[in-house]
Amino acid sequence: MTGFAELAAATSYSFLRGASHPADMVAEAIGQGQAGIGIADRNTVAGVVRAHVALKQAREDAAAAGLPDIPFRLVVGARLVFMDGTPDIVAYPATRMGWGRLTRLLTTGNLRARKGDCDLTIDDLIGHAEELLLIVMGGAGDGAVLRRLRAACPGRVWLGATMPRGGRDRRRLAALMRVAGEAGVPILATNDPLYATPDQRPLHDVLTCIRHGTTIAEAGRRLAANGERHVKPPQEMTRLFRDCPGAVAESVALIARIGFDLDQLRYEYPREPVPEGWEPQGWLEHLVEQAARDRYGTELPAKVRALIDEEFALIRAQDYACYFLTVHDLVRFARAQTPPILCQGRGSAANSIVCFLLGVTSVDPAQHDLLFSRFVSAERREPPDIDVDFEHERREEVIQYIYRRYGRERAGIAATVIHYRPRSAVADVGKVLGFSKDVTARLVGTVWGSFSGSMEERRYADMGFDPASPAVARLKGLVDQILQFPRHLSQHVGGFVLTQDRLDETVPIHNAAMAGRTFIEWDKDDIDALGLMKVDVLALGMLTCIRKAFDLMRQHGLGDHDLGVNIDADDPAVYDMLCRGDSIGVFQVESRAQINMLPRLRPRCLYDLTVQVAIVRPGPIEGDMVHPYLRRRSQAEPVDYPSPAPPHDPDELKALLGKTFGVPLFQEQAMKLAIVAADFTKAEANQLRRAMATFRNVGTMDGFRQKMVEGMTRRGYEAAFAERCFKQIEGFGSYGFPESHALSFARLVYVSSWIKYYQPAVFACALLNAQPMGFYAPAQIVRDAREHGIMVLPIDINASLSDNRLEAGADGALALRMGFRQMDGFREQWAAALVAARDAEGRFDTIEALARRAGLPQRALRLLADADAFGSLALDRRQALWDVRRTPDAELPLFAAARAAELGQEPDMTLPAMPAAEQVAIDYQTLRLSLKDHPMTFIRPILAREGVLRCADLATTTPGRTVCVGGIVLVRQRPGKGNAIFVTVEDESGITNVVIWARLFELFRRQVMAARLILVEGVVQRSPEGVIHLMAARIHDRTALLDQLGDDPAPGVGNGTIGAGHHPRDVRIIPKSRDFH
Amino acid sequence: MPPRSAGPGETPFACVERVRGAIRIAAPDPRAQALGIVPNMALADARALLPELDVVEADPAADQSWLERIADQCDRYTPMVALDPADGVTLDVTGCAHLFGGEAGLAADLEGRMRVWTGHLRHAFAETPEAAQALARFQTAPAGSEDMALRRLGVAALRLPEEVAVALHRAGLKTIGDLAARPSGPVAARFGAETTEALARLLGRMDSRIQPRRAPPALFFEQRFHDPIARTDDVLATIGALAEQAAEVLAERDRGGRRFAVRLYRTDGATRDLGIESGLPLRYPAIVIRLFRERVAALADPLDPGFGFDMIRLAVPMVEPLAATQLRLEGGAVSEEAMAALVDRLGVRLGRNRICRLAPRDTHIPEQGVLTMAAVDAPALPVAWDAPEPGEPPLRPIHLFDPPQRIMVMAEVPDGPPHRFRWRRTLYDVTRFEGPERIASEWWRRADGAGLTRDYYRVEDRRGRRFWIFRHGLYERETADPGWYVHGLFA
Repeated sequence: MTGFAELAAATSYSFLRGASHPADMVAEAIGQGQAGIGIADRNTVAGVVRAHVALKQAREDAAAAGLPDIPFRLVVGARLVFMDGTPDIVAYPATRMGWGRLTRLLTTGNLRARKGDCDLTIDDLIGHAEELLLIVMGGAGDGAVLRRLRAACPGRVWLGATMPRGGRDRRRLAALMRVAGEAGVPILATNDPLYATPDQRPLHDVLTCIRHGTTIAEAGRRLAANGERHVKPPQEMTRLFRDCPGAVAESVALIARIGFDLDQLRYEYPREPVPEGWEPQGWLEHLVEQAARDRYGTELPAKVRALIDEEFALIRAQDYACYFLTVHDLVRFARAQTPPILCQGRGSAANSIVCFLLGVTSVDPAQHDLLFSRFVSAERREPPDIDVDFEHERREEVIQYIYRRYGRERAGIAATVIHYRPRSAVADVGKVLGFSKDVTARLVGTVWGSFSGSMEERRYADMGFDPASPAVARLKGLVDQILQFPRHLSQHVGGFVLTQDRLDETVPIHNAAMAGRTFIEWDKDDIDALGLMKVDVLALGMLTCIRKAFDLMRQHGLGDHDLGVNIDADDPAVYDMLCRGDSIGVFQVESRAQINMLPRLRPRCLYDLTVQVAIVRPGPIEGDMVHPYLRRRSQAEPVDYPSPAPPHDPDELKALLGKTFGVPLFQEQAMKLAIVAADFTKAEANQLRRAMATFRNVGTMDGFRQKMVEGMTRRGYEAAFAERCFKQIEGFGSYGFPESHALSFARLVYVSSWIKYYQPAVFACALLNAQPMGFYAPAQIVRDAREHGIMVLPIDINASLSDNRLEAGADGALALRMGFRQMDGFREQWAAALVAARDAEGRFDTIEALARRAGLPQRALRLLADADAFGSLALDRRQALWDVRRTPDAELPLFAAARAAELGQEPDMTLPAMPAAEQVAIDYQTLRLSLKDHPMTFIRPILAREGVLRCADLATTTPGRTVCVGGIVLVRQRPGKGNAIFVTVEDESGITNVVIWARLFELFRRQVMAARLILVEGVVQRSPEGVIHLMAARIHDRTALLDQLGDDPAPGVGNGTIGAGHHPRDVRIIPKSRDFH
Repeated sequence: MPPRSAGPGETPFACVERVRGAIRIAAPDPRAQALGIVPNMALADARALLPELDVVEADPAADQSWLERIADQCDRYTPMVALDPADGVTLDVTGCAHLFGGEAGLAADLEGRMRVWTGHLRHAFAETPEAAQALARFQTAPAGSEDMALRRLGVAALRLPEEVAVALHRAGLKTIGDLAARPSGPVAARFGAETTEALARLLGRMDSRIQPRRAPPALFFEQRFHDPIARTDDVLATIGALAEQAAEVLAERDRGGRRFAVRLYRTDGATRDLGIESGLPLRYPAIVIRLFRERVAALADPLDPGFGFDMIRLAVPMVEPLAATQLRLEGGAVSEEAMAALVDRLGVRLGRNRICRLAPRDTHIPEQGVLTMAAVDAPALPVAWDAPEPGEPPLRPIHLFDPPQRIMVMAEVPDGPPHRFRWRRTLYDVTRFEGPERIASEWWRRADGAGLTRDYYRVEDRRGRRFWIFRHGLYERETADPGWYVHGLFA
């Protein structure tokens, strides 16, 4: 038996160098009967977990098929590439300790370098070389390096030799043998492979071109001369190395010396949160018991007692106490800040009573009889899942606290592997193959969104490219191969891995692009596979908004609240408001689709809100679950639960789907359905979940379909029902929403609705101050506030703050005063200086006084005048602008005084008065909204002559009539499969929801996409709940009417560029709408 | 390959440019504009609007040279020609117009000639350059007088920074008339002296002249013809006559020309430039005319006179001192420059493509590794010759057979070395070999994406003769029966 193990295998994680995934390298080596493989990527171990998982999977598959175990070893390490001219060295840790040395070595190099690089020298290696086995990959062999390493690591150095078919291989090998003999190190045979099989040479060439930023035609000798760097079978290696048979045998000898395996990475939660003298479990129980007594009194309700005891037992059995304590520690830190940072947990474990009592969530599991599946199942050894959302403006404080408390060597953000997507793959490969940018742009231009995982052939054909033509076929072939290739590592949005021991002895750490952040090399899947645990520290804009609302309420004597407000979430008035679809600005349920759903679903309790949050998603919509749910809920249709044949429990689905009237809406239900009804094992269900969650396994879903349908029919369900169930699961695919998350979100829906209902002025103000977030622009928020009877006051130098504020209006009610932050380009420091000067010496009486006292530059003054902020000086916009432009910049008082004398003597200019329409137009240009009027008011006379209705008129129009409505385009959306396009238009009376079918859209694409002011002819439709839509039949672009608003160039003026249309100066009167493409 | 539209006019079309990583529309054509494509729009947005939009990358250098060429045309009316970027040319025709039948005649002549270059032509005559530029660009309807026409224009005609133009609008001062009617002091105080000065220049209240785009050449001599000439000999004779005039002037000044430029003006408005350069200053007319003769003879396309040339101008844009000199008697080494000069002269005389130089090319394929190119062209590819490894025999022979010659070989499968081969009916026994050097095909040049790999061996026979031979195709992986070839002989 020829024994050989390839020990210098690079993978796709040697970014743009390796041309095969780790799993493919492992599979190829197994298939060839190698004794093992060593995965060593360029200064990284990012790909080793994938290889590890692939081998495990192969072993499981073999065992499942009744085959003997695979005699194969995977060893993991890294190929060290140095900055100082030292030849590459492949390093394998022999032991767990050696692994720690390797990861610390890589960390050292990573943190020293700019992002993405790893700066290493041979001295670094020698400083971290304990327990590492080193293979020097030298072309000609470097005797000095070998001798130096041998002295530092006796018996642990090899000289790697290759036979690359370069013409002089045998002489080179002889030279290497001489060098190795002199240095006293053994020679080791390797093929230094960059890909698994020879047919990946084109792909490797393309990657090389991408790396060099060149095209295949121009790359020349930067490409490899031949395609030999694949994994070669042991017989072939023996044949190649017949001059030095020992080199081949040496590979097996080396692998035998390695005792390290990734499974040895043991993980411990940090013990920081546990005080001296306590055990984690004891301390957790102590905290929870104390909180329970604070809330329920000394005598706990029986239900609470039972829940707590059950959860304690589970946590103890799984040894998760430290995890809960760590989350609690973060939450406690956030709460302890002045002012406190709002936060809320979600995820399966977050719905436990332990989390509720620790203050991680504000959903009381005792009140809401929540979940059929408990938060951690004992069988499924999966880490518990708690994501904590923090105010988005202040999350960084929490992140820096984590780094401070645990140290950078013990805390790191997980990586996100940035993969090639169709867009980037077509662009990069197309460029290499010499396609013009135009052609590739056209190809990727047709991919809506960038998240589809494969380039369908149809796309090429759609664009008029013949998929059979060789050039296009080649492009397609290579794009298909490169899809899902990792391109680089980036940081995860907020998943932290914290450890008791040094994290950098488990995995290398990198500097992130963002200052003050470091992240580890492994991503979520890797961390899961190794059983490390992570806490997600996420940012949520709505929490910022809610906190600002609470602050305002406190400030105006409206009570002192936190997220626990109205903890029972049972105020009927709040639900009444939601049932009316009055939810602009409310968390999660403010989109058009949600607003339309509210009157149909008519939520009356927190669980209804949970359903509401989860139901308007691609999963339930594409799985066609929305209508059955609504019909059953409104008792228009009987609720039935298909039963299996005996001897199975006929009510098994009732237990599972009872709360949602027999319709699976949540991800957990879909999973459970597979387990209960189709007899999936836990492991299979887990695989199904993963297949659903990622796009990578597009091909594997078919297998699951068969299994599911078979499983269900075997247990006596009808095949049609089984098919439908699977369709629903598939529908969840990418966007299924778990109940455990929806519930926490529902709580925030309730809290934000509560504020909106009871304190609409506070809510609007906080929402504006938390921008940008949510679905609506400030104009719509202000409009909504005014429709709720809130007085909205303009920006004024003698009243506004930087933020929007509340002040007592004329009638004593709170009025919303717009702040300087609503002005584009007005710096916060100017606002601060202005407010400080006003607070110190009282109101400003003149523009000069403002400039002098606040030290504002000319530009700031002009912006204020543009924004019409001099109302309290009785200066209208035009006069203020005129005066401001000659006001000198803040300067020495002496000169200012001297200059002031000159300012009086000016001939009269008699400026024309600014018409109202122009005022509104400029309001939109400077503030993106106007309190004076709606732009459509001024166009209305023209439209009225044409018989165009106002949006508000639709409410009184008979459904089925064909009418014409016009307005400003607010939002264009193309959800889901893109069968329909939804456009929201607004006029002075309200909004209209327009539905355009995809076929019609193609006819009117230009009008729909380009118009800022459109007229829509169509049929009025009203749903039983009173939701009105206009089904478009014809669309007209009337953007030109906006020029009537007055800021247009004088009549008879061209635009100055011969033969051109618009000039850049031609300012957009109405801001761009929010679009889908 | 992708379908391309038949040409502009068929499909909406736009030039695009890369602005900070994003591709943006630089200039849409009228069709695209009519469909809502505007400059500065992101290409993605434009495509969402108009999926069939055809785009090419903007080429500002080409635009510039287009404008320069138009300006070149205008040299015939007046030497005072200024560029008004990005798409305008301003002429100072003071005292020139009567030569062309007055302003109307000049305009008609110009429009006739320019029709070749552009379909979008607008012009205006005015008292000041700014007024002419503003009227040409912004005027939309005829007016009673220049002053009235100007007063109607929007303030955009002042071509002020965007911020100022917007501010003027917001002040309600929207036209030149609005501004002209008001005292200038307050306007200057608010919108800067540049604004009032621009207004004054526009209205002729302030003196303004154009900056001609190039200083007239140091020396120029021209000949106009009432009857256009068309024969090449006549052209050369005229150049000779002009060269003699030039020589006189140069001799007076102790100067010689390093560069001589002839411009031929065709009656239909096209111009043709001929230039010679020399390493050393020249003035002797015989040499100048001989170089021009060679220049004309070497032209790839004949000197197309169309309906004839109506003017020829010889300019000497680069002059250097040239005193009478003596040759050095002691001689000296041939310098790089002397070599370059020799190449120049030989090239001018024999044709540039007949003086060649070998240049390395960046490819693994041996027979494509060297390119023969004209010596006057600097090697365009930044490729260096491979430096031979010290102590190593050469990997490639100097002489290659083109095409490689087929041989019969005995060798081991799959990829063993050759033992014996038959070439031109002679049998050679291989005594020593080295290899293989494996060179794979350039898959991207082949329709099937495959192609055969070559295994090159350097072999030596009994008598010490050395050959470079290769097996064409990997046994079994690529072909069942690989052929063998001798590709070269080592010295």
